Amino acid sequence: MKMTSDMAVDWKNYEPVLIPNIPDLHKIDVYEKHGGYQAFKKVLTDKKSWPEPKSVVNEVKEANIRGRGGAGFNAGLKWSFMPPADGKPRYLACNGDESEPGTFKDRKIFEYNPHVFIEGALIAAYAMQITTIYVYIRGEYGDYIKMMEKAIDDAYKKGYIGKNIFDSDYSVDFYVHSGAGAYICGEETSMLESLEGKRGYPRVKPPFPAQKGLWGRPTTINNIETLSHVVSVINKGADWFKNVGAKNHPGPILYGISGHVNRPGVYELPSGVPILDLINEVAGGIRNGKKLKAVIPGGSSVPVLRADQLDGVTMDSDSLREVGSMLGTAGMVVMDEDTDMVDMLWRITHFYHHESCGQCTPCRDGTGWLEKIMLRIKNGEGEIKDLDLLLDITTQMEGRTICALADAAAWPVRHTITRFRDEFEARCKKSIHAA
Amino acid sequence: MPEVYIDGKEFEFEGKPKLLQFMLDNGLEVPFFCYHPSMSIPANCRQCMVKVGLPVKDRETGEYELDENGERVIRWFPKLQTSCNTDMSEGMVVLTQETDELVKRAQKDTLEFILANHPLDCPICDQAGECPLQIQTYKYGPEGSRFEVKKVHKPKRVKLGPRVTLDAERCINCTRCVRFTDEISQTHQLTIVSRGDKNYPITAPGREFNDPYSLNTVDICPVGALTSADFRFKARVWEMNQTPSIDISNGKGCNIDLWTRDNIVLRITPRYNEYVNDHWMPDVGREAYKIFNENRISKPQIKLDGETVKSSWNNALETFAEQIESSASDELLFVGSAHASVEENYLISKMANLLGAATPLFVPHIIEGSGDGFLLADDQAPNTSGCRLLGLQETDAEALRSKFDNAKVVILLNDNLADRKILTEDDLDKVYTVFFGTNRGHTSETADLVIPVTVAAEHAASYVNVDGRIQRTFPAKETKYANRRLNLEMSEGRLDRYGTSFDNWVTEDNKVDCMPLWNIFHDIGERLGLNLPYGSGREIMSEISDTLPSFKGVSYEKMDDLSGIQLTKETKQVKTK
Repeated sequence: MKMTSDMAVDWKNYEPVLIPNIPDLHKIDVYEKHGGYQAFKKVLTDKKSWPEPKSVVNEVKEANIRGRGGAGFNAGLKWSFMPPADGKPRYLACNGDESEPGTFKDRKIFEYNPHVFIEGALIAAYAMQITTIYVYIRGEYGDYIKMMEKAIDDAYKKGYIGKNIFDSDYSVDFYVHSGAGAYICGEETSMLESLEGKRGYPRVKPPFPAQKGLWGRPTTINNIETLSHVVSVINKGADWFKNVGAKNHPGPILYGISGHVNRPGVYELPSGVPILDLINEVAGGIRNGKKLKAVIPGGSSVPVLRADQLDGVTMDSDSLREVGSMLGTAGMVVMDEDTDMVDMLWRITHFYHHESCGQCTPCRDGTGWLEKIMLRIKNGEGEIKDLDLLLDITTQMEGRTICALADAAAWPVRHTITRFRDEFEARCKKSIHAA
Repeated sequence: MPEVYIDGKEFEFEGKPKLLQFMLDNGLEVPFFCYHPSMSIPANCRQCMVKVGLPVKDRETGEYELDENGERVIRWFPKLQTSCNTDMSEGMVVLTQETDELVKRAQKDTLEFILANHPLDCPICDQAGECPLQIQTYKYGPEGSRFEVKKVHKPKRVKLGPRVTLDAERCINCTRCVRFTDEISQTHQLTIVSRGDKNYPITAPGREFNDPYSLNTVDICPVGALTSADFRFKARVWEMNQTPSIDISNGKGCNIDLWTRDNIVLRITPRYNEYVNDHWMPDVGREAYKIFNENRISKPQIKLDGETVKSSWNNALETFAEQIESSASDELLFVGSAHASVEENYLISKMANLLGAATPLFVPHIIEGSGDGFLLADDQAPNTSGCRLLGLQETDAEALRSKFDNAKVVILLNDNLADRKILTEDDLDKVYTVFFGTNRGHTSETADLVIPVTVAAEHAASYVNVDGRIQRTFPAKETKYANRRLNLEMSEGRLDRYGTSFDNWVTEDNKVDCMPLWNIFHDIGERLGLNLPYGSGREIMSEISDTLPSFKGVSYEKMDDLSGIQLTKETKQVKTK
């Protein structure tokens, strides 16, 4: 089923809420002037609208903010998994590791509007009666780590973080933790290991972080963008949020568009924008007047789509699933007609080989094998049988490991080969067994 | 009791066992590498995959939903599960590689991945023959290899510490060694470095792996990545005989296996005993294999005009008999030994008794503060508790020396009292000293008559450890007068069982010219007219258990069945995870 244009969302009249066009919004005074920290204040002090923390959880659950880190799980539902508070430490771990190639949306929040994230995290922490918040930012974001530290210091000084906030009995602490440049630490449980000062190995689930997370205590992990959306859910209500964009995947999304377009960048628009509108209108079309060849819609691990698959496809989970891809992080990589898909896939396999943590056998040895075969094909030394071997290896890796990195490494290989098989076969040398 | 269905067979279970351990306990087989029953479960090798499903229950009635054939409706987990960390629950249905093609395929796939970067140097690898990777590849692995590209290269022959050598290329990153130093020995000396297929375990930069339990990592390594620096390249596993025994270098009495070839003990590995040492043993206990081979007293020695010369057995025993006969009973001083077995101490006690001499003394060999609260006790001797239970008189150096003034003949059981500085050469020169010993030292050099006896590796005898547990050894080495084919206590190696008579290496020089104490005392008994009619440790133990209340009910059979018998109440729990 293809969507007709009249079903598409009205994205042209959308007013951004996460990264609005306000100069110096990263400064706390400017943020306050534009209504900053009012949502948090309401939640803490307005007992009529928000009688108890649970009511915040319910509102966020109702808004159906689907996790923007890639998995798309209802954030409020995730919060409701936390066991009742028992007076001992509980944690919120904010995932700003943002390492998926093609994804660069959270850095815009760190850079242009850090306080909307801080406020969202504080509301989330209050809703779950959390005592400590960590924001884990990838080490490569050195400047943004400093900016976040400054923003958190400012919020401490203004009394938004610390003891007895707004004279309530709620207290919370907020820390920035720098990663050391490992992709795997963006996986939520290995991020917890990393926060504990250990090697970034994903944990075996169950137990899930809500039962046993950081230092064995209940922990919730949310993406930076997900938490930032909480502020507008509180300010404007769950109904407003639900009515922005696609029905099953509502709310604004930060689209990170990169690749062969005229105006790459991060754009805040409703979910469900047609992919072709994003490329041709938002991002100004393919550069140098070239033709579109392929799009990776949500970060390097999601299946690539051919240009001829894109008619009527919109950026939301349902529509993308129909054509055999996923929304992921909405970090879109656009490729023009000159793109060599073999080189592209080799580069992706190189990345996953480099970033596999090495804990589980199928991923540790599978990613390396994938890259080595891809290198052989790229160098014109591959054979047709190698393509089938690649597909075999992806089947052997998928769903057989502790975390989803093996899947993330296997999908691009499987789908790029099946969707661009001619190109791969053309690069292979004729097998001596071929007729 | 709740039940599970594994490959269509029904099993009942209690408590909350993990699926893999339950299957192993019930004699079923699933391949695995990273799992170890005494350590945490990382589920990282992904080898023990099985298919798991749960019966669907009607939410309202709580009854199982049934299909049109009256069978329970099963909801299968969407992915295969690692059985090692799967909690069992009522009605669970499990399909293993025996019944499910997908499971079989998944296990084969994982092995293919493991072997992709594994060097496959089995012909020169120490682990070959006892290698879980080798065994499971034969059983469950793929035929041939599809890996046509270059393997990853990593450091080889890395001396991690004084006793352990690493070949990182063979490593399959199961993290057993890392978990051992974290959870069991708790020295935290090893960690995994680097990422992906380049990772391997190593110490922190500039630190060495000198953990007092480091060699356990060699045992639990499922491949040949960690090897013992001492045993490396010395022998193939299939050429050795494996004989159960007890660590005699410490009072803890760790259960061990002696690995022998051509009547030389080549290495010692721990043997599982949940009451004593679990799967582990200290490194010092492993180095004790040398005392079975080196510096042994072979053939009796006698002092003639101040010079020690070799003597015939007949001459030595006749001399001993003469010395006894020419002394009054109160001129005889018998000294037992915490380093000798229960049976030997009983014999010396019995001889003293028959001759009307005083009860034998013994000086415990305890170094205060040398233990570590885990598998190393302060007690340096394997049988201090045994001597106490036999009623030997415990004494100290001073009291022992004072007895020398009134004695004419002193009979010392295997305990190097001169090197231990309990006795001086002057003390020993005052009297006629007879030493029944195993290894050379100051005591054997000074004694007037030295009669060589068998070590723990050469006889079946029992020892009572610091916690009061009696455990026994088996003969692993032949002596000059023992024939492994006639001695039914001796373990059979692969070559004994399947080889021709030319396959077993027999170097006569490796057989020590010594005898078990009971054989010697049997002979002496006949010369002196004493009733000491014993032919084996087994006979002595049956007399001990009949006559001494502390040993009531003890027999070799029972010790074998129960992996030792607790004689006294004081039990200390082994520190396991």
